[in-house]
Amino acid sequence: MSINRIKLYAILLIACLAGYIWLFYGMKKLHSEGNTFEVCLIKHTTNIPCPSCGSTRSVLSLIDGDPLKALYINPFGIIVASIMLITPVWILFDIITKKKTLFNFYRQTEIVLKKPKVSILLIVVVLINWIWNITKEL
Amino acid sequence: MEAQKVDMFIMTNGKYFESHQVVQIRERLLLMDDSKWGLIQTLQFKDPTTSLIVSLLGGSLGIDRFMIGDTGLGVGKLLTCGGMGIWAIIDWFMIMGATREKNMAKIQQVLY
Repeated sequence: MSINRIKLYAILLIACLAGYIWLFYGMKKLHSEGNTFEVCLIKHTTNIPCPSCGSTRSVLSLIDGDPLKALYINPFGIIVASIMLITPVWILFDIITKKKTLFNFYRQTEIVLKKPKVSILLIVVVLINWIWNITKEL
Repeated sequence: MEAQKVDMFIMTNGKYFESHQVVQIRERLLLMDDSKWGLIQTLQFKDPTTSLIVSLLGGSLGIDRFMIGDTGLGVGKLLTCGGMGIWAIIDWFMIMGATREKNMAKIQQVLY
């Protein structure tokens, strides 16, 4: 009932690579023009920021060594940054030792996330963060 | 199982699977014992069209992926705003196939 290991690792690696390229260009633009690209579909069509709007800016301020600002812009940025840091190392570890610890961890996490109590709690957190995003006018 | 029963099942549920899978499912069902008919009948499948609608509306929040049971990918889509919009658009075309794959995985647990 889940995707296979190779596919998952490929998706994660491509996502991380795209993320790093995106960050590199975002950083260049932020330092030369003072803002980053905005590609968010929701923000462009409705003018309301989506729950994850501002995570690029958040990760960039984390790189600049300002965790408080990162937390203020969008706390999701810290989650994204930690995923981007941990996954490539973890995949490399799995490939070298020929184990599937990340895959097992992913499946365990999926099972935990599907429990109603956990998912309702997380949905509420996402909604609160979204409302906060709208009031901050990201 | 009787061919009539199997064909009735295929007629009502054929739209939930890829066309090449339907042939395979039919063959397996014909070989299967009659006692499993009740179980097969009660299986609930997800409609690919519904997931396409959800994908069009809530794709950049990953709701489509949550709906078909890919929680991990859903979280990924949510955190990256639908993969910067690109993944959300790709999923408009992928989600129907993905839903059918999920349905196939579900029926396979009974078939084999």
